[in-house]
Amino acid sequence: MEYKKVCLMYRHEDYAVDGIRSALGLAVENMYAYGVVMDVEIPKLDDLTIESIEMLRDMEGNVYSTIPANVEKNGFESLTIEELGEKLREMTHIVPYGPRK
Amino acid sequence: MAKSLGIFVTTLGSLQHVIGITKAAKAKGSNVKVFFTWKATNLSKEPDFPALCELADDVSICVDSYQKQGFSVDDVPEGLTAKKMATQAQHGIIIEDFDCYLSL
Amino acid sequence: MKILNIYKSEPDDTVKKLVEIVTRDRESDSFDLNTDSPDYDLLVDKIFEADQTICWW
Repeated sequence: MEYKKVCLMYRHEDYAVDGIRSALGLAVENMYAYGVVMDVEIPKLDDLTIESIEMLRDMEGNVYSTIPANVEKNGFESLTIEELGEKLREMTHIVPYGPRK
Repeated sequence: MAKSLGIFVTTLGSLQHVIGITKAAKAKGSNVKVFFTWKATNLSKEPDFPALCELADDVSICVDSYQKQGFSVDDVPEGLTAKKMATQAQHGIIIEDFDCYLSL
Repeated sequence: MKILNIYKSEPDDTVKKLVEIVTRDRESDSFDLNTDSPDYDLLVDKIFEADQTICWW
């Protein structure tokens, strides 16, 4: 069986945290799930969300950001737009999540 | 046989697109499932939402998101049943079991 | 692999770049959802024809 690979991308701070939980929801359904925070700096995450990200990583998923401040503040893995594009090529499902700010 | 279509809704202002696409897909004999999450659960209070529930084969919303948007779990939107106040597993079903996937 | 790119608004530089990379060496089609009355019938045909659909912001 081929596992699905899903990348959710967030460009609005009001949607990032829920979008990360949505990625976790897919990971528990046996999919490779990734989240990418783009464009916006988001506040420091609460413990519940940090726990969600740790669980996601335990299931071989991850959360990335194209914004250095998010990488520093929330421990996301850094990703450029070009790297994101290459990553998207590997995905079975690509989800621009929520609106663009 | 028409392909099946799963629609994952994450944005406000997308309801008319969801309805238009569902209507067109149903006219082609497709099986259509729609799942609303996060702020898009507010769309379940739109006047056109019950019509979408009639049109699509399956419509559900993320109950956790719905509560976070300030609604009570007992306040089941018109067109849905308590069973359709669901979890993110519905998104998983759309990805795994439907031929075509669309996020809106 | 055939990719369908749907646009809900005028694509900005980020979206253009991602589309360029994702569709590189692949067949692709597009649909503009940012109009007064989109042809949903045509859109559904395109979705059914595509191997992957991406609905950009």
